[in-house]
Amino acid sequence: MQWAIVIAAFLAAAVEFVEAFTLVLVAGITVNWRSSIVGALAAVATLAVIIATLGVALVTLIPLDVLRFVIGFLLLLFGLKWLKNAIQRYSGLKFLHDEEAIYAANLAQARARGEAVGTRLDPFGVLLSYKSVLLEGLEVAFIVISFGGGGANGIGFAALGATAAGLLVILVGAFVQAPLQRIPENTLKFIVGIMLTTFGTFWSGESFGITWPFSDLFLLMLAALYLVVSALLIMALKQRLPHVASATTPSEATMLSQEKEVRQ
Amino acid sequence: MNVILKVILAVYNFFVGDLVILIDVTLTMVILALINSVGALAALQGGSGLILIVGVLATLVATLGREVARPENKQKA
Repeated sequence: MQWAIVIAAFLAAAVEFVEAFTLVLVAGITVNWRSSIVGALAAVATLAVIIATLGVALVTLIPLDVLRFVIGFLLLLFGLKWLKNAIQRYSGLKFLHDEEAIYAANLAQARARGEAVGTRLDPFGVLLSYKSVLLEGLEVAFIVISFGGGGANGIGFAALGATAAGLLVILVGAFVQAPLQRIPENTLKFIVGIMLTTFGTFWSGESFGITWPFSDLFLLMLAALYLVVSALLIMALKQRLPHVASATTPSEATMLSQEKEVRQ
Repeated sequence: MNVILKVILAVYNFFVGDLVILIDVTLTMVILALINSVGALAALQGGSGLILIVGVLATLVATLGREVARPENKQKA
């Protein structure tokens, strides 16, 4: 089961860190890199404290059965939300996430402040970077804590996956120095949605005393079932909305409002 | 809006943000709890796993159905 936890945490973290990276980049270019990096590091430290305190407290204080139920229930809610959003984007019911457009809109907004780029720590730059990394990272923190509490001793494995994703995004981002729009965000969100829903079903089922056939191997079967049903739903929605599926490029005027919607 | 309500709303939006998902998943859990605790329903315990999976899939279909039924999406279709 541990490899599945590492992969799920890695993919979820990759998606969120790509989104956070866009705004860290905006802060770095429009304000200065010092403020941007300080803000991002402060947010990472905050997230680490949240995971360490909440994660350890949950695992040690709450009985395993209760924890599995709560974690399973929350993972189901969380997973279905991600899965629903990904299916909506694939079928054209929702705009695809466009990092380039979000980058351009935020860059214009930050530049409209009209301040010259300096080298001193700038509260706006620090806050922009801190907020974006913290908000995107909170979902990752929740996923890491959930896997830790699910009974598979997975907090270390989940943290490992998330850290690897963070380092990869930083490395690639530093190399290209542009928004990472080639990352297939919706595909990653779709896969993570499937995995979270699968783990949520599995653990909440165990908390009710359900013994799944084939033990942990049933996770794969469950994931395959959810994948097939989701694919069928996408096909059905595409048939219902044939001309909407291609209209995925948002106009610049509505980018910010769509970004808010997309991030929900 | 007072602070407590804002906090509840923020938590709701963070975890789910969709009333259909929240109600359907909760309903599935309540059904499973009843099957596990009410003696008369003990015969259904063998099918708990299936009920859970069907509940999850029904939730997904229901929430997407609601999105399609929104007036702005009906116009697209």
